[in-house]
Amino acid sequence: MQAKTLLAPARRRGTASGLAVIALALALAGCGNRADSDYQRQFFAFGTLVDITIYGASTKLAQQASDQAERQFERMHRSWHAWHPSDLTRTNRLLATGKPFTAPASVLPLITLGKTLSDQSGGLFDPAIGRLLGLWGFESDQPPEGPPPDPKRIAALVARHPSMDDIHVDGSTVRCSNPAVQLDFGAYAKGYGVDQVIAGLRKLGIRNAIVNAGGDLRAIGRHGDRPWRIGIMRPRGPGVIASVKISGDQSVFTSGDYERYYMYKGKRYHHILDPRTGYPAWGTRSVTVIDRDGARADAAATALFVAGPKGWVATARRMGIHYVMLIDKHGIVHMNPAMAKRIHFETPTRPKVELSPPL
Amino acid sequence: MGGGDGHPEPESIRTTRDDHRIAWLAALAIAIHIAEAALPSPLPGIKPGLANVVTIAALVRFGWGTAAWISLLRVLMGSLLLGTFLSPTFMLSLSGALASIATLGLASRLPGTGFGPVGYSVLAAMAHMAGQFTVAYYVFIRHPALLHLVPILMTAALIFGLVSGIIVFMMLQQMRSARS
Amino acid sequence: MTRADIVAVILAVALLPVLYLHFWSGGGFAEQVRIQEGNQPPHYYSLARDQRIRVHGPLGDSVLEILHGRVRFVSSPCRNKICVHSGWLSRAGESTACLPNRVSVQIIGQDPRFDAINS
Repeated sequence: MQAKTLLAPARRRGTASGLAVIALALALAGCGNRADSDYQRQFFAFGTLVDITIYGASTKLAQQASDQAERQFERMHRSWHAWHPSDLTRTNRLLATGKPFTAPASVLPLITLGKTLSDQSGGLFDPAIGRLLGLWGFESDQPPEGPPPDPKRIAALVARHPSMDDIHVDGSTVRCSNPAVQLDFGAYAKGYGVDQVIAGLRKLGIRNAIVNAGGDLRAIGRHGDRPWRIGIMRPRGPGVIASVKISGDQSVFTSGDYERYYMYKGKRYHHILDPRTGYPAWGTRSVTVIDRDGARADAAATALFVAGPKGWVATARRMGIHYVMLIDKHGIVHMNPAMAKRIHFETPTRPKVELSPPL
Repeated sequence: MGGGDGHPEPESIRTTRDDHRIAWLAALAIAIHIAEAALPSPLPGIKPGLANVVTIAALVRFGWGTAAWISLLRVLMGSLLLGTFLSPTFMLSLSGALASIATLGLASRLPGTGFGPVGYSVLAAMAHMAGQFTVAYYVFIRHPALLHLVPILMTAALIFGLVSGIIVFMMLQQMRSARS
Repeated sequence: MTRADIVAVILAVALLPVLYLHFWSGGGFAEQVRIQEGNQPPHYYSLARDQRIRVHGPLGDSVLEILHGRVRFVSSPCRNKICVHSGWLSRAGESTACLPNRVSVQIIGQDPRFDAINS
């Protein structure tokens, strides 16, 4: 058709220039902060994926620091392993005898810290319930699967009331008055480990870094002229539900029912056990805590998870925690006002939020 | 008359005044569309959309039905004449046109004084662009880099919508003063 | 210009900054994906080339797919398949991993939206 041949060259010209401008537009759109001073290293250690980000240090120093971090995590993982032979398993054997002994240097600080945190949490966080965790199958290389343990066995263990209060510390001498006690550091080992690694980075002169162990992290300094931007994963489904800005020295720790669990007959059995009942705490899906120390944030996230949507405010006040976000089993987000100010939701529709009184 | 052999007499099609109106308005729109196709466009899919001037003017003077016909005829005939019928370009044009027709339909039914040419034009232009982009992304290329273009495309749509709307407004003013 | 016109224009103009914020904030142009097995040095793949990548881990082979500038786990020998369920990654900084098979995947690009993900 005459019209077709007349107009075809015009259309082709338009398309070519169009494509050229698309390419230009995309290239320009991609121009953002060039992250030249970012050093990032990932490695598998401590039973999880560790991510180290260092800003503003020379590549040589950053590499040295990451190597040190990897070695530290390896050491701690070996010392605190709950079921492979380790300083911890040896400690548990000696605790069960009831006789006083000298605690290994790698374990003693966790015992004293564990006692303090457990007391502050009103017993909701208690590393002495290792036997219970073992009963549920969470102390094994094999991922656990149903059916859940016999309720009578659970009740029997709970009745023996293993608790950090049963461990008596005098200097480096330790004695336990309850043979039902078995230590499992899983609820705060990551926090403590991250604290140690951050301290190690500081010793090397690193001022701005994030140490992220399997999703739980502590960040120091900032990313150049802006704070660190942290995304928080949603408890159900992929994607980020919220973000928060961090600078100075802060830890962000989340305890969730999706980390270690199994499904049996439609019910989810996860590893955050309520020491009072011996069963997983079912009212909560996840708790995110922001605090300076990783160990405190880690333990608090566990304790507040167990406390649940009704009890978390009282527990947070007892522990002196100032930023909490709890997502309950209905998907409702509970926060204190200070946390609500810091949290920025990243979802297209805002989830249902319940603000608590100030902590 | 007709009868047993099963072939009915062809009836003559009676055209109404409305049909004539739609026909010449559509022809006008198609002509503008084709002329515009000869212009180089910064990005495929970005055109000043001057043919929309006819659609919006028709909406204001003759109602939504007429405007919808003009829009569809313009896309259909325009693509046949340009040789892009059933091509991806055609799909994009069509989805844009359908989106803007639907939006204009909703807008013209709102209670109250309703919109003038400027409001309709802006709504139509942005709906058109949104409709086109949605089909381009979900049906053709689901490349995340494409999403970067959305704000630019919608800005252009807003500007062209405003310009078209003002042109229609001035045109209708001229026509009114010419008649009185 | 009727009142409705003015409202329409104002709404349209107000929509624009929302669009810029949403589509232009962070997660800049994603260029490459970094895939790491265990603690070996990572491999980098361009997101511009559609391809499937097989990674050998202690449990077996995890298969990743790059398609239309995005990447995801297609299959993995782990039990819970959390890696597969995490879906497509497309923006700079996004990451996922198969812990049991020790495979980690991260999108590298300019100006990632988040410096770290808490989970």
